[in-house]
Amino acid sequence: MSSTATRPDTSYLLRKLHSFTGILPVGAFLAEHFWSNSAALVSAEKYNTVSQELQTIPFRLIVEWAAIFLPMLFHGGYGIYIWLRGKSNVSAYPWVGNWLYVTQRYTGLIAFAYIGWHLYTERWLTHGRSTYANVAADMRNPWYLTFFVVGVLASSFHLGAGIWNFLCKWGLAATVKAQQAAGRLGALVGVAFSVVGILIIISFRYDWHPFSVYLPSK
Amino acid sequence: MAETKQVIVKVKRQAGPKEAARWEEFSLKWRPSMNVIICLRDIAENPVTRDGKKTTPVTYDSNCLEEICGSCAMLINGKARMACSALVDQLEQPIRIEPMSKFPLVRDLAVDRQFMFESLKRVKAWIPIDGTYNLGEGPRVSPEVQEKGYPLSNCITCGNCLEVCPQVNEHNQFVGAAIISQVRLFNMHPTGAMNKSERIAAIIGPGGIQECANAQNCVHACPKGIPLTESIAEVNRDAWKQALLSWLVG
Ligand code: HEM
Ligand code: SF4
Ligand code: FES
Repeated sequence: MSSTATRPDTSYLLRKLHSFTGILPVGAFLAEHFWSNSAALVSAEKYNTVSQELQTIPFRLIVEWAAIFLPMLFHGGYGIYIWLRGKSNVSAYPWVGNWLYVTQRYTGLIAFAYIGWHLYTERWLTHGRSTYANVAADMRNPWYLTFFVVGVLASSFHLGAGIWNFLCKWGLAATVKAQQAAGRLGALVGVAFSVVGILIIISFRYDWHPFSVYLPSK
Repeated sequence: MAETKQVIVKVKRQAGPKEAARWEEFSLKWRPSMNVIICLRDIAENPVTRDGKKTTPVTYDSNCLEEICGSCAMLINGKARMACSALVDQLEQPIRIEPMSKFPLVRDLAVDRQFMFESLKRVKAWIPIDGTYNLGEGPRVSPEVQEKGYPLSNCITCGNCLEVCPQVNEHNQFVGAAIISQVRLFNMHPTGAMNKSERIAAIIGPGGIQECANAQNCVHACPKGIPLTESIAEVNRDAWKQALLSWLVG
């Protein structure tokens, strides 16, 4: 057979790239971001040390654009394109998978709006040098606080459902049993991210540092 | 004795693809084990609407009356199903009957499923056994493959899986779950496997497997209980290996 006959359509490659970027680097970055921000649960100083560490990585701009901003812009932009080419019918067929299909789209859009705003307030306005005090001050605004909560929940849900989608759509979970297990894994990730995200928000809002017990006593 | 039980049926009528659609309501005499095809036959026998107006028999497709030919798929109370196995006693009344929405309308409830047959041709959904000379016996099919393949071979090309799929619509040419499942069936057959890469090449073309977004409606709607989500996942795995890795590992 000639090699040209096996060449995939561009739409195939873009869909696969969209799917892949959802996990790597976008999903992985979300995990890293929640992990770094958990430092607030220890203490404000620990948080400032961790964020300064990240703010001073070498080649910072290149890393940020190549590993975070561009993949996220692509995933979000192409995600909206995919959304527009689908035609939801969940009212006629209210099955769980069909609900997840719809929710995947809305949570993606909410996450996109949230992340854009979050970047503006915590990165742009602070010139990339945001501190514990900056974030804690923002959380005192009830509108900001609400947006933080909604954004964290939407991102967590989107990643959890996305992991399920990813495992099914690459044929890594193929049998019905494996797909059920993938669903449970996705649910676990979604719940875990939601819980950790909310704990971090509480930490900033109420100056609550439960892991400060780890610190050497003065 | 109380007056005889009636069945109220509303049918969406349309004389042709470009004509205006209208609803007609019929009141039919109830009979035991009545299904939707019997309703349509009763209307044909006496095409008079509930309010006494004379009309024409409803155009629809059906043949086997036992869920094996695949021709009678339609929307019954808003859901894609086979009319011959839709029992009146299990349906809420008035029973609303409409044509499927994802295929071009011919007339009334009859639609044109040519798109599915063209897609089957595109993916070479057959086993090539003819040559210009005698090809001899093919390899034996292992019982394991037989067992997996048999349920897939039950597809009746009814189109329910396309009708319920949010990704099958006028914005793209997605071939739908049935076709992907046939790719799996013919690729798993030892003779069919000789054309495996051609089938995969077709299914990663425009309107191919990439359009699936895993809503998984297809598997709920299939009257034959075909494990469509499993088929899609299996073909997806072969697809990315061929599409993304063949330039590396051949
Ligand atoms: C927090 C940032 C985000 C993360 C971690 C993320 C992650 C993921 C993952 C893992 C998937 C599954 C991949 C797959 O379908 O195979 C996915 C799918 C999807 N994402 Fe995102 N995503 C994010 C942001 C967005 C944004 C901003 C949008 C824009 C609306 C979006 C729209 C979508 C859509 C529509 C799908 C489904 C694709 C399909 O059905 O084929 N995502 N995402
Ligand atoms: S896979 Fe099932 S629903 Fe789809 S066409 Fe075949 S029999 Fe009908
Ligand atoms: S008449 Fe053949 S499937 Fe219904």
